[in-house]
Amino acid sequence: MNREIYAYKCKRCGTMHYPFRMVCKECKQNDFFEFDTVPLPKNGKLLTYTKVYNLPAQYEVATLGLGIVELENGMRMLGQIEIDNPKMGMPVKGNVEVVRREDYDDFYGMVFRDA
Amino acid sequence: MRDVYVAGIGITTFTRLEFALSEIASYASMMALKDAGVSEVDQVYVANMGAPRVNHQTALASAVVDSLSLTPAGAAAIENGPASGGSALKAGFQAVASGMEDVVLVAGVERMREVNNLEATDFVATLTHPIAEYIYGVTLPAHAAMFTRLYMDKYGVTERHLAMVGVKNQNAALNNEWAHLQQEITLEGILDSPEAMTNNPYVAEPLRFFDACPVSDGGAAVVLVSKEKALELGRPLIRLSGVGQATDTHAVHERVEPTDLLAVRKAAADAFEMAGLTPEDVDVAELHDAFTILEIAESEEVGFFPRGEGHLALERGDTALGGKIPINVGGGLKGRGHPVGATGVAQAWEIVTQLRGDGGARQVEDAKVGFTCNFGGFGNNVVCLTFVRED
Amino acid sequence: MSVDLEKILRPVDTPMAPYVPKYMLLASGEAVVVRPVERDEIPDILKHVEPLLHVERDYYDVVGARLYSELLAHYRHRYQDQYVLAVQIDGELAAVVNGRQVNPKLGMSLHTVALRRGLRVGAHAFAAKMEYHFDELGHDEVLVVAESPIGFRRWMIEYKLEKRFEVPHELGGVPSWALTRELFDAARSSLVVGRRPVPPELLDKAMDKILPPSDPPTPALDPLSATRSKYDPTATALMVERWAMERAEEASKDA
Repeated sequence: MNREIYAYKCKRCGTMHYPFRMVCKECKQNDFFEFDTVPLPKNGKLLTYTKVYNLPAQYEVATLGLGIVELENGMRMLGQIEIDNPKMGMPVKGNVEVVRREDYDDFYGMVFRDA
Repeated sequence: MRDVYVAGIGITTFTRLEFALSEIASYASMMALKDAGVSEVDQVYVANMGAPRVNHQTALASAVVDSLSLTPAGAAAIENGPASGGSALKAGFQAVASGMEDVVLVAGVERMREVNNLEATDFVATLTHPIAEYIYGVTLPAHAAMFTRLYMDKYGVTERHLAMVGVKNQNAALNNEWAHLQQEITLEGILDSPEAMTNNPYVAEPLRFFDACPVSDGGAAVVLVSKEKALELGRPLIRLSGVGQATDTHAVHERVEPTDLLAVRKAAADAFEMAGLTPEDVDVAELHDAFTILEIAESEEVGFFPRGEGHLALERGDTALGGKIPINVGGGLKGRGHPVGATGVAQAWEIVTQLRGDGGARQVEDAKVGFTCNFGGFGNNVVCLTFVRED
Repeated sequence: MSVDLEKILRPVDTPMAPYVPKYMLLASGEAVVVRPVERDEIPDILKHVEPLLHVERDYYDVVGARLYSELLAHYRHRYQDQYVLAVQIDGELAAVVNGRQVNPKLGMSLHTVALRRGLRVGAHAFAAKMEYHFDELGHDEVLVVAESPIGFRRWMIEYKLEKRFEVPHELGGVPSWALTRELFDAARSSLVVGRRPVPPELLDKAMDKILPPSDPPTPALDPLSATRSKYDPTATALMVERWAMERAEEASKDA
């Protein structure tokens, strides 16, 4: 199954947002839910990253890679990274997977790997 | 608008405290009320972030106002993440400045050591964007780490600069009997010796253990009053002269320039404008060094140093006691500790202590103008304040 | 014919290679020495373990009580194949670790108690004892458990220990975790430090006398705290406070 994460495009001025917001950041004119959903691109370049050692209690792994990626269309998003030797500016490719499990709930998000 | 003065200050030791949350707030408040010499107040604001989640308690202000036997004064809790303290001070300022109240008690409190470290980390992480950040396992150290990497790349800040901030602030805490960390550290021990990388492991690359503030319990309080009341009480006249608050995008990745802390810039500029001051006028400052990088970045954004030169000022010793603009001489969050809801009020406590000349071994000589920056979220909600001693 | 009962009760210790002392610098820049403790030095350590019995936080009370009994039993020859290492800063006792050999291939970690906080002394001490198990005693595996969340995070997560839940650990019969030689070697570069030999003046200072800890963990300020803490429904602290008051009363009667 090919899962997507969506950006929100203002129906009035066309500005794209991620994550969802109620009012367009650019024109501030749109009313309730006046956005079109557009899948976010999955390729991009790694802007910055970290490897976290002190994780919230639910995680059973010892470390977690996180990064902010600039996607092909210029938008940015934060995601988990599974890359052995990350470098700033390196090309990455994302996939939507389970990023957190809490009790019986699965949460999906973008996981980036070496492109 | 009426002028607003700080008539009394109080604080508890920042450490792991085995007192109930409301007792910690009340203890600091009692000290502040005693210091001010007042026994009745018109309004109480209690700054706190975690009571419902960490301590299983809601409506904290009602508990505190009653515990202090200050009923029927008005009381409200203010939750605004790590900027709760600054926000409560702003509310107290507004109450007095508007002429609505004459005496306002502002207390800040947090008891986050009630849960273990992993739960505390998760609790603070709940301030991040729920969908675009939190679910990924983002923590505040993670945000700070990603910010640090960009900052290093852009301005040439190194791990040594970060360690220098850590050593400066943690050792400054040795001069502050209320501070959490009472343990000297050296650059050799955390950076240069063969054991340094084990002594000082990564918490989120490139940030290390000694780059982060400790998890602390603690409370702080101040009493804000009108000028008339301040003159009547006869305490040193310390005026809360400037208040600025600004916000930025909730999700960090949405910021146009990810190394900019626009909310810090705006909040500081607004505070200085209201006070009729400039950054050059400041004698002593408290910046929100939850992570060492933040002291460097904020020292630039509030206008003490040009962009990208905070680490150079650090190298020159400008930010140390005796330097051009001493920052965090009481240890900052790094050394004093960071009970999140209390921090903004504790910063005011330190500045008022300095302006009164009560700083002891950490006293900045002839300090007349003080400044605080209370940084909430990862820079998405910031309160800056200026304080002036009037002779 | 008289039976020498003591001969039956007293365990015969298996000869174990001695731990070779090492030293390292802490974050404070202070040098810390890790060295083996002889049986006749045990009372000097017991004196500083006893006060921990009244410190609830981080399970210092449980750990302190167990360590006290292990050390005492070792001193009085009622514990087989136990070793004890002391971690000292300028002579001052900063941490105590102990463990034992189960058989020539298996070690069992007993306790790690830090008396100085905030400098990772406990982490260094734990690493030193694991180093002893693998490098000197030649064990393939060491069984480990934690009583406190801090311990759990340090050992189980930082070393990524394997589960040996089918083996009840000697400490409370709880499921064991294991540090294998492979895991230890993987952690070596980041977690195990220390230099040898120890400069004579440092080692002499350490061997000379075990000095009291300068800032040991102490009981909470508030005697009623335990009744309010969700982690102490048994109100141990309250009980201890009552005993202290009773003792003070007795003392005043005597005087």
